[in-house]
Amino acid sequence: MMTVASAAATVAGAHEAPEHHHYTTTGLDNRKIAIWAFIGSECMLFASLISTYLIYKGRSVVGPLPHEVWTSPSGQVFQPILNIPVTSASTFVLLMSSLFMVLALEAVEMKGKPGYTGLRGSSKFWLLATAIAGAIFLGFQAYEFTSFVHEGLTIKTNLFGSSFFTLTGFHGTHVAVGVLWLMTLLFIDMKRGLGPKDALLVDICALYWHFVDVVWIAIFTLVYLIK
Amino acid sequence: MPKLALRRLQSVAVLAIVMLALSACGKDYPNSTFSHNTELNTLAVFLWDRMLLLGTIVFVVVEVLLVYTIFKFRRREGGPAPRQIHGNAALEITWTAIPALILVFLAVPTVRTIFETQRKAPDGAVQIEVIGHQWWWEFRYPQYGIVTANEVYLPIGKTANFSLRTRDVLHSFWIPQLGGKRDLIANRTNYLWFTPKSDLTSSAWNGACAEYCGASHANMRFRAFTVTPDEFEKWVAHQKTLAIGSPAAAAAAAAAADTGKGAKALPVKMAAMPGMPGMAGMHDMPGATAAAAPEAWVYPLERMKAYTLPTTPLPATPFDESLLAAGNAVAGRAIVTNLAKAPCLTCHNIKGETQYLTDDQAKGPNLTHVGSRHTFAAGLYRTDAKALALWIKNAPAMKPGSAMPTFGTGEYNAMLKMKVSAGGLDDRQIADVVAYLMSLK
Amino acid sequence: MAHPGAPAHATGAAQTGEQTGLWIWLTTVDHKRIGILYLYTALFYLMVGGIEATIIRTQLAKPNLHVVSAEFYNQLFTMHGTTMVFLVIMPLSAAFFNYLIPLQIGARDVAFPRLNAFSYWVYALGGLFITLPIFFAVAPNGGWFGYAPLSGPTYSPGFNMDFWVLGLQILGISSLAAAFNFITTIINMRAPGMTLMRMPMFTWMSFVVQFLVILAFPVITAALFFLQVDRFFGTQFYEVAAGGDPLLWQHLFWVFGHPEVYILILPAFGLVSEVLPTHSRKPLFGYNVMAYSGIMIGFLGFGVWAHHMFSVGMGPVADSIFSVATMLIGLPTGVKIFNWIATMYGGSLRFPTSMKFAIGLIAMFTIGGISGVMHSSPPSDLQQTDTYFIVAHFHYVLYGGAMMGIFAGIYHYYPKMTGHFMSETLGTWQFWLNFIGLNLTFFPMHFSGMLGMPRRIYTYDAGQGWDLFNMMSTVGTYMLVLAGVIFAVNFFRSRKRGPLAGNDPWGAPTLEWSIPSPPPDYNFAEIPEVTSRYPMWDLKSPERTAGIEHSHADSATITDAHAVPMHEETERKTAAELGIPMPFNTVKPFCVALGLIVMMSGLIVLHAGKTPLALAIMLGGTAFMVGSLYAWLTSPLE
Repeated sequence: MMTVASAAATVAGAHEAPEHHHYTTTGLDNRKIAIWAFIGSECMLFASLISTYLIYKGRSVVGPLPHEVWTSPSGQVFQPILNIPVTSASTFVLLMSSLFMVLALEAVEMKGKPGYTGLRGSSKFWLLATAIAGAIFLGFQAYEFTSFVHEGLTIKTNLFGSSFFTLTGFHGTHVAVGVLWLMTLLFIDMKRGLGPKDALLVDICALYWHFVDVVWIAIFTLVYLIK
Repeated sequence: MPKLALRRLQSVAVLAIVMLALSACGKDYPNSTFSHNTELNTLAVFLWDRMLLLGTIVFVVVEVLLVYTIFKFRRREGGPAPRQIHGNAALEITWTAIPALILVFLAVPTVRTIFETQRKAPDGAVQIEVIGHQWWWEFRYPQYGIVTANEVYLPIGKTANFSLRTRDVLHSFWIPQLGGKRDLIANRTNYLWFTPKSDLTSSAWNGACAEYCGASHANMRFRAFTVTPDEFEKWVAHQKTLAIGSPAAAAAAAAAADTGKGAKALPVKMAAMPGMPGMAGMHDMPGATAAAAPEAWVYPLERMKAYTLPTTPLPATPFDESLLAAGNAVAGRAIVTNLAKAPCLTCHNIKGETQYLTDDQAKGPNLTHVGSRHTFAAGLYRTDAKALALWIKNAPAMKPGSAMPTFGTGEYNAMLKMKVSAGGLDDRQIADVVAYLMSLK
Repeated sequence: MAHPGAPAHATGAAQTGEQTGLWIWLTTVDHKRIGILYLYTALFYLMVGGIEATIIRTQLAKPNLHVVSAEFYNQLFTMHGTTMVFLVIMPLSAAFFNYLIPLQIGARDVAFPRLNAFSYWVYALGGLFITLPIFFAVAPNGGWFGYAPLSGPTYSPGFNMDFWVLGLQILGISSLAAAFNFITTIINMRAPGMTLMRMPMFTWMSFVVQFLVILAFPVITAALFFLQVDRFFGTQFYEVAAGGDPLLWQHLFWVFGHPEVYILILPAFGLVSEVLPTHSRKPLFGYNVMAYSGIMIGFLGFGVWAHHMFSVGMGPVADSIFSVATMLIGLPTGVKIFNWIATMYGGSLRFPTSMKFAIGLIAMFTIGGISGVMHSSPPSDLQQTDTYFIVAHFHYVLYGGAMMGIFAGIYHYYPKMTGHFMSETLGTWQFWLNFIGLNLTFFPMHFSGMLGMPRRIYTYDAGQGWDLFNMMSTVGTYMLVLAGVIFAVNFFRSRKRGPLAGNDPWGAPTLEWSIPSPPPDYNFAEIPEVTSRYPMWDLKSPERTAGIEHSHADSATITDAHAVPMHEETERKTAAELGIPMPFNTVKPFCVALGLIVMMSGLIVLHAGKTPLALAIMLGGTAFMVGSLYAWLTSPLE
């Protein structure tokens, strides 16, 4: 719940400040400060979710399990459920999206500057690329969730299922909010074009996007790679 | 005004504190934690005393400074403007360092005591399993094969090692006079041990649940008895047997006499297989011992101090008390042991009767010696015929949320939100059941 | 909640002439009005929580009493705790954050005015969501700490705990949104020259509190989310049968719960740090140390949570670590006490009601602090925890500390908020009744606790040695009720009838006193350049601040061409006359909050088994929320 509301709050912040520039103590825009505070808060949220997952690791009474084979009392054998190669691919896509995001921000900041022509200067292209990479990641996640359900693991099955789906679900929701945010920026870009004076709008979105990426690296390492 | 008011405040506060302190010392407080009945509590009280001393010193220093400042520096008309002082590093370091020093005197014995009290219990301790239920206490002595409820016996001079588990939500095991509390946590086993000091006289203590556990948390009490080793042996020997005086025991004794079987054979066997009669005993237990069992011993009622005897008021449930005197234990037994008549044995075990449940399956207290317990319903009521009758008739009216159903015909069953009609027990049947239960000494 | 009769001055309606009465309060984005809304709403909930406490104490006056049933008593104590923590003390602090922070740092509003309105409405509506069920006897009944598995679906199948879980989630959103707002405001909206180390101590303590909120609340959000999906969607987080660990809840809850204690107390510390210097005519003693100790308390506050759990059997190593950490946190707290006394020492003390309450805080919080150190020793704490000794301890901290400080703040700032003084006679009565009532209620609880009385019991047996103490506590509670009635009379009577107060009725040192009372909607017609910690003393009695370093308004430190030297503002013009752009009033934040509550309520209907209706409500609420949010985001602020 917090995710939706505080993401909404962030987006709200994005349009809260008036058009003309007020005096600020630090010289930074209010929105920039707020997004950092928000990210600090989000760190604690994901820390709680990841800790819960790790505390419950190995404590499920029944399977399927992430890294171990599990045989049910009726003799049915469940293979380890985490598919590391597939998730590695989706991780790669998400990491690439961060790169696209950097290029998008650069394109907005440098719009019209020499050398920023064609693809390099096309903020629309890079914003779209970032959003698409995010959407592909979500697609991977949807595939992963469905296949887990088919293999007998739902959010209700065991402690692993509950904590895994909640953790990755929270992260997926963050990615989805990010994709919507990127699409909004793209929409604005198409409508009136984003230029250096709008750099802040893209900048705070980029901060959020990179944060979501970093969280995924933590999740990928702690949940998938470490057995 | 301020001056007068502050003086008034001072005298009121001082008076109140002195009065409280006096009243706290002058009377007998049956559940006081400031006791030296166990080594565990002696350690806790030592820390408490030190903290109280240090705390009082800090308190007096702060309040004296405060009151002095208030009186000394109140505004006087035409007085000089105060000097503008912004701080004083030396002073501030001082009043950080002194409390830090004080804390050292607290931290060192604290840590030492933590490690001392959380060691493993010494060998040869009496093992007691404490199992919390909403809302009553189950006590098992695995060394003796005893399962009982709401009354726990501890030999003086011998360490009691409690292993604490819960069947449902969290509870906390606490006998204020004997030591600090320890929580009962689902999916975990906790431990607590202490030794009633050897110079204790045989005594009864109040215990309670200290962790909020739902509707009847306030009603989850128990009694602890610290008894001499001799008395403990007698109690154990008696608890191992079937209930003296119960028709089951009497019949079994008669049968045993007929077949010439040794009357003392069974207790040994029972002790050897604690909790085992369960599912294996789908038929009546063969043979028994009760009639010739060792002298029945429980902590004598006349030695129970008033504060260990509950005074919970009985509800206004109507009951024809004249029936109680005529209650027929044999008829009562026929009701209790017949699932078609009453579902008693789907929750309770009675050693010697058909057992449908293992001890771990039983949702209600073991009733084997219920008639010889001084209290029932988690220490909420005295075990007497009238209270028991009302309990069977409508238990939730006596202990909110109780899982014990309402059996009295015509009574309102709060759980099902309807009146008990067919299948309930009338007052005469209840009187018979009570007679049977009271016979389970 | 929105009292149309609350001090409504013509200021807010300046540019929106057609909006009057209730509508202004519903649409306002002015931090002062929102502050007043917080104040009135929290005082309303204070009354609710107070009535709950009174029924609780009436039931416990004598052994074996049955004024209310066990079930209803459990709802009462759960809601008393939940109400006082989340609906009273936190929002009362928020009232002061809202009203004071912009004024104290020389800003015209908070960083995000509409987000601020949103925070308030989420709080007000979320408060109703969690409070209303008690009138139908289906209120939360698992304790304010909601320990699993009792709070889970297996042992609390009814609707009661649904309201609690969802209500706390809703209130958490409000607190978080407000905290992001205030952090940004304090970092970024300070007047020229208002460096961090010149901020008034209240703003400093509030600053620390906002960080505690953004770091502690996400943890309870996660814990509650687990409970929420356990209850509504059948997950296994706290299910015993699936191997769930009740201690997971406890750790997460107290990682939030202990910083929460400092979230409750630090604002009161801040208020007292404003009142004491003013009425002592001396600056705050050891300003730097006061600020640093606040930070230290906040920092250590995250490392001591498990002292709430000494009885769960964490093992000797963990017990020792948390024990020593808990003792350490006493140090910065002790420093504050001594520094306050040193502030008064050598001063020229005056004792208006606010000063009485401030001194009351020092005297009473000391008791709560000392008993707090007593809990830090686990072997001894095992005899104290979950007894009335703990109840005594935290009521000395929260009533003797937080509430005393808040009352001091109300009496101190009432003239600023309304332009009128509160009655000193009634205030003095209220103080003494509060002071004596508080001690009569809570001091005996130390005794009943150590003499074996557990907490959260709806009744107790006779002859346990607790009767006298309980009777004293109950009588004390009635005194507190009387004090509350006197306060209410004083508060409402003085709005119009109290003697007029000027800009600076107390001779205080900080910026908020340089502008009219009540302040105009734009706060400062001209933003002053601040040159020291005590701008108003610089202006009115420069000899008092001569000894400290000043930056000079004409030096290179002037960061804003619009800033003017420190001055007092007495003229009251409209924002339009001055050409100050003001944010538009808007109902959209209210609509978003309303949509959010409706969306959450759908889950209750889902629990009732009416899935299509539940989906309709949830989707409807979401649609309304998202639509309002879109409208909000696409409309300009000013």
